[in-house]
Amino acid sequence: MKRDEIIVGVVIFIFGAVTTVLSLRMHIGTFRTAGAGMFPLLLGILLMVLSSTFVSKKFFQGKGEQAGKEASIESSESPMQLILFLGTMILAALFFNRLGYPLTSFLLVLGLLRILGIKRWGLNILISVVTAAGSYFLFIKWLDIPMPKGWIGI
Amino acid sequence: MIESLQHLMNGFAIAGTIQNLLYCLIGCIVGTLIGVLPGIGPIAGIALLIPATFGLDPTSAIIMLAGIYYGAMYGGSTTSILLNVPGETASVITCIDGYRMAQKGRAGPALAIVAIGSFIAGTISIFGLVFLAPPLAEAALAFGPPEYFSLMVFGFIVLSNVTGKSLVKSLMMAVIGLIIGTIGLDPVTGDARFTYGSVSLLGGIEFVAVAIGLFGIGEVLVNVNQSSELLDQGVIMPRLRELYPSLQDLRKSMGAILRGTVSGFGIGLVPGPAPVIATYSSYMIERRVSKHPEEFGQGAIEGVAGPESANNAACQAAFIPLFVLGIPFAPPTAILLGALLIHGVSPGPLMISQHAGLFWGVIASMYIGNFVLLILNLPLVPLFANILRIPKRILLPLVILFCLTGMYTVNNSVFDIWVMFLFGAMGFLMRKWAYEGAPLLLALVLGPKLEVAFRQSLMISHGDFGAFINRPISLAFLLATLLFLMVPIFRIFFKKLRKGGVA
Repeated sequence: MKRDEIIVGVVIFIFGAVTTVLSLRMHIGTFRTAGAGMFPLLLGILLMVLSSTFVSKKFFQGKGEQAGKEASIESSESPMQLILFLGTMILAALFFNRLGYPLTSFLLVLGLLRILGIKRWGLNILISVVTAAGSYFLFIKWLDIPMPKGWIGI
Repeated sequence: MIESLQHLMNGFAIAGTIQNLLYCLIGCIVGTLIGVLPGIGPIAGIALLIPATFGLDPTSAIIMLAGIYYGAMYGGSTTSILLNVPGETASVITCIDGYRMAQKGRAGPALAIVAIGSFIAGTISIFGLVFLAPPLAEAALAFGPPEYFSLMVFGFIVLSNVTGKSLVKSLMMAVIGLIIGTIGLDPVTGDARFTYGSVSLLGGIEFVAVAIGLFGIGEVLVNVNQSSELLDQGVIMPRLRELYPSLQDLRKSMGAILRGTVSGFGIGLVPGPAPVIATYSSYMIERRVSKHPEEFGQGAIEGVAGPESANNAACQAAFIPLFVLGIPFAPPTAILLGALLIHGVSPGPLMISQHAGLFWGVIASMYIGNFVLLILNLPLVPLFANILRIPKRILLPLVILFCLTGMYTVNNSVFDIWVMFLFGAMGFLMRKWAYEGAPLLLALVLGPKLEVAFRQSLMISHGDFGAFINRPISLAFLLATLLFLMVPIFRIFFKKLRKGGVA
């Protein structure tokens, strides 16, 4: 945990450093007439100061002091479910415009239910169809929100 | 005072006509439904329905749109409590204890206390509006850029103190939020920053994408990452008699509601995203005054009652600068201002005299709207609470679909969906390493305003930082900020001193 905390702190420090460097490429100006880069520059420096404080605090912190202080979420026995879930979400975003809203919503729910262990195809398809149809009527027909039609054209 | 009361009575007569009551009711129902959908908050709700009010007279139109505003705010709290998905910024704080309450089978009391607290806050605020509007609007004018800047810095420190266990971690998140807030066009010079040729980034990072990502998607991913047994475990379901708050809950909440109302109303008058600051300040106050501060973050009902009351009071008070000064200080009131202009009404100092019927009619309709929301939502508590009965394996894909849909509807942009997913992954990792999302989100919202206030202050003072300490209100906020920063240090120091003494 302590090692993880230090790594995260270093990553945040790098983020602050990158912000600082990129800000320096913009117009900085003076305090009276600050340029576009002034505010992010100050923030980048502030983030570097805060993250170095955090990292050094963690580095010098005793083992006993650290244990049990901060809660973290339990990790799964298998991260495969999470990867597949994330992958399906990404695919849905990738093909959202091409497939159109009704088809994407149907396939997304179908895929996610399957990944989460709803193995009965009948139930899986029923939930997906009802959800896709319900959200189609709610958003497109009732609220009149323009959604991608995709190749099916509805 | 008597004159104001008479005007208010006239306002009730206008708002109480069958026609206006109907529009108020429609506004509240539609607003609640829209607010419950993740992503579509009060801003999108009002914007979507402005065209529907074109055929109405200005008073009825604004009454209906104000109803949508309140309804959507309430609906946003519902999703915060049940799904950990804040509908809009002001609901972020409700996620902290509201969602924990729902996980412990106390979604009903949490939802009910939102309606009760909002109603009480609305009742008290209307008197505040009637009697204090003119003098308080003048006081709000005393806020210049330095005061505004110091107030926001104070807000960040307060928030970083109340969320999470590590002040440094929360402050880092706030600074990251501020940095993300600088993406897009420079608010002063108009130069593009960190956009690298992307047109989508010119408008900045969409707040809703970050909010739904960090909280909604992040929460879903945490659940998906759980083992199969934990996924099937679900939340503790309440029994029927536990769907409403107990007497003890009400007793615990009453002080929080009253404190939230007073602080929320005061903050609502100040320029800035009042409901957001009001909810955070109220949460901070409740944790400080509580005899059991350790319960906060674990499902304390005061952590829902106080902020929600403050939210409602701030929303009402925010109408004062809108109507009296013609300045909208928050996005939803900005949209309402647009609606007023469309209907041929120009808010400003002359509005009360030139459009007295509209002004007092809307003030009265706010109260009626709160009452409608109370009687509309209390019976719906069991229905909303039952959403949690849906097994997680089915609920999680539905939440993802609604997040995706809601996100797309904001700007009709797939880019926003990618941003939402990115922040979803970040939200997951932040939970893993115990980082709080709320400071990042608040910083993202306030960032551009903070920067403008900072730069304007220095422009006015010719680059002299004394501008922040030479003005009494600004100095007071900065001293309070310093005090808040010093308190944890002193606490650690005295704890060590006591330990040393005992040894």
